[in-house]
Amino acid sequence: MDRRTVMKAVGGTALAVALAGCSDLLQEEDDPIEDAEVPDEPIEAGLQTFLEGAPAVLGVQAQYGAETAVRRINDNGGIADRQVELEVVEEGEEALENYQQFVDDGMDVTFGPISSGNHEAMVPEINDQGVINVATDGTVTTLYEEDHPPEDNQYSFRFQNHDVMEALAAAIEAVELLGEDEIDTYAGINPGYAFGFDEQEIFAAGIEQLTGAELVYEGFPDLGTDDMSTHIEEVNSEEPDVLFSSCWGGDATLLLEQGHGAGMFDNVELLVGPVLYGSANDLSEDLTDGPIRAGSRNFYWDQPDTERWSPGDELVAEVQDEYGVLPTAHFMSGYGAVTAWATAAEKAVRLLGRWPDQEELAEVLTNHGFFTPAGYHTIGPDHQGYSNAHFGELAWSGEYDAAVIEDVNVYAAKNVSPPQGQTSLDWIESW
Amino acid sequence: MSRFPLVEDRDGQTVVRIPLTRGLGLTPLQTVFAFLGLVGLFALPFLAGLVGLSWERLFRGILFGLAAVGLNLLLRHTELVSFGHAAFFGGGAYGVAVLAAHYNVSEGLLLLLGAVIVGTTLAVVIGYFVAGYVDIYFALLTLAFNQVLFATVFRSGFFNYNDGLQVRIGGDRPTLFFLEWTTLGYDLVLYYTTIVLMLVMLLAMWKLINSPFGRALDAIGQDRTRARFIGIPVEKYVWLSFTISGLYGAFAGGVYALLRLHVQPEPTLYVFVSGEILFMAILGGFTTLVGPLIGGIILVYLLEAARFWVEYYHALTGLVLLAIVFFMPKGIVGSLPDFNAWVAGRVREPGRLQEDVRSATAAVREGVDRATTTVRIIVFGVK
Repeated sequence: MDRRTVMKAVGGTALAVALAGCSDLLQEEDDPIEDAEVPDEPIEAGLQTFLEGAPAVLGVQAQYGAETAVRRINDNGGIADRQVELEVVEEGEEALENYQQFVDDGMDVTFGPISSGNHEAMVPEINDQGVINVATDGTVTTLYEEDHPPEDNQYSFRFQNHDVMEALAAAIEAVELLGEDEIDTYAGINPGYAFGFDEQEIFAAGIEQLTGAELVYEGFPDLGTDDMSTHIEEVNSEEPDVLFSSCWGGDATLLLEQGHGAGMFDNVELLVGPVLYGSANDLSEDLTDGPIRAGSRNFYWDQPDTERWSPGDELVAEVQDEYGVLPTAHFMSGYGAVTAWATAAEKAVRLLGRWPDQEELAEVLTNHGFFTPAGYHTIGPDHQGYSNAHFGELAWSGEYDAAVIEDVNVYAAKNVSPPQGQTSLDWIESW
Repeated sequence: MSRFPLVEDRDGQTVVRIPLTRGLGLTPLQTVFAFLGLVGLFALPFLAGLVGLSWERLFRGILFGLAAVGLNLLLRHTELVSFGHAAFFGGGAYGVAVLAAHYNVSEGLLLLLGAVIVGTTLAVVIGYFVAGYVDIYFALLTLAFNQVLFATVFRSGFFNYNDGLQVRIGGDRPTLFFLEWTTLGYDLVLYYTTIVLMLVMLLAMWKLINSPFGRALDAIGQDRTRARFIGIPVEKYVWLSFTISGLYGAFAGGVYALLRLHVQPEPTLYVFVSGEILFMAILGGFTTLVGPLIGGIILVYLLEAARFWVEYYHALTGLVLLAIVFFMPKGIVGSLPDFNAWVAGRVREPGRLQEDVRSATAAVREGVDRATTTVRIIVFGVK
């Protein structure tokens, strides 16, 4: 896609183009938004994310992403001339209470959380309070498919792809690489909490439908465990063709460390891990050896290739400069959640000629499409964000002194998620 | 018995007590505090906002505080330290959640009854196994039972793992008194129902600890062997007090579930929550009846709100708690009589205030001297 198409698709608004990473393309022109009746005071936004403990590996990236989006918004004149002030708090186990505090503090919009359990607790409260929340993560698939279908949900949105999209992409990735007939057995090592169970269930359904493979081992180590050797030994003795693991953060590093130590990669044909790349900044070079395909959810910084895609290149440079890390998919969770809301708000001002209320903004955000340096994203009628899913060969970059993925496969949302109104497991069963 | 102020003669001192129930009365100062407390409780939803406090948060504090009041029956009287009381708080919360999510029970009071039955049953079972143990063994056993429950819920699809269960029936919040309410109406009705029931429970606890049964628990706490020799059925009494203690936690957990409308294992069943409940009792003053309640309100407020004030909010919470432990070792409510005596003494003899300042300055100077000496020794050695 070239820059001109990007500009045309986003309607050429200053903010949308800036957030897509193409602000240098804009020329001065008359903008009807300048005549809109918009309050003078800045927009107050709240973000809750994990800032401490093991999950901070993901949470701090989300913070960097949200801050980067806010910085770009403010540097480009704000949303309809309104600057954005972002308050960031620790999510902890009190996401529901944090959201209530944000509302009490008069926030115009809230972002977060990371945890799916926290998200689940918040959704009814968000609809009671009527202040839009755009979740950065909290990606459990049943949330909007079964528990809170669109007719019961007005103000709760989620930007990051939900679990089915990465778990199915992992199954398809395995089939693409090894071939349908070469996969007879599979195993799973997933974190022992709701997310891990959800991912394993969907991956199992997908790989069995695609190949008829048989499950030979399924293990669920505690989240944040310090030993996975029993699970690795089981995998070594079963020698499955494909090992699936949704382990993330320190768990992903530990799986690779102990897996290498115990020779696990000689006993499996392939390890597919949908969130392995989330640990990119914590891996060492020797851990990236072996047949490992790492997923990077809805964003991989070098896709499209940064040498040919300047928005991506500029973003990586900005993040490296500002924070000294490579952005991961959780960076995009924060960046995209803010961008979704900001571009929808600007669109609403343009349509209405004034600042929208929460109900109007929620209406615009539903079925909203927008660009980030990761490409084009849509928010569906079910309030779920849909973006490409990424998988690639785990490798090492001396240039960045960090893990990278090579030979990247990109999966379009419609190929890895069910049509609106259908649940994921029913859809997979109908293949 | 007369309903008028009762004048007692104790050890040559005249003590005035305002009788509340048979045989029990409050001193005039306690009466004033009790009255102010009552007014505060009933006006809380309207007053809290005026001073910038969130009354829902205070409500949650009251609930954890009530669980701490239950725990304090063991801590104060039988002198047993339980590290597993989240089992009953969480048991009550999950009692409500399971009945609502899996059995579509939609009336809040029935759900609350279910919570009390579930949590108290847990206390009966766990109490049976732990009643014969003391000290560290008792603490570790209660902790172990708590962890078993947490792990079971965390890894069970029936409880929806750590994502937890909604306390909503078809998306709607439960009815209260078989009526549907608005969001605010629901919270208010739940609050006032809880406050009335809580006052009854506090009064019952007060009667209990001043009854012969309560004295027997004191005796057990002081020396089990002697208590056994004078004919007290020690294990049975501990088991009973453990059960009553669990009932308070179960009730509080049930209301918590009705208020939050979503129950997850970490905020209700995790062993750290047990530690927090224990700390609330110590913070507020475990030698008093209402101290744990105050401790609950303060700790929950700090844990929830401090993150909005400072970045290192755990450090702030820790500093506040350290300050209370060092300067008010009897807890907040437990230190009130000492504080009153100090104020009364200074009002009588204002000259002693100078003495206080002098001794405080001397203490600080001594501390600084000692620190300087230590640093000098570390840097330059003994000579």
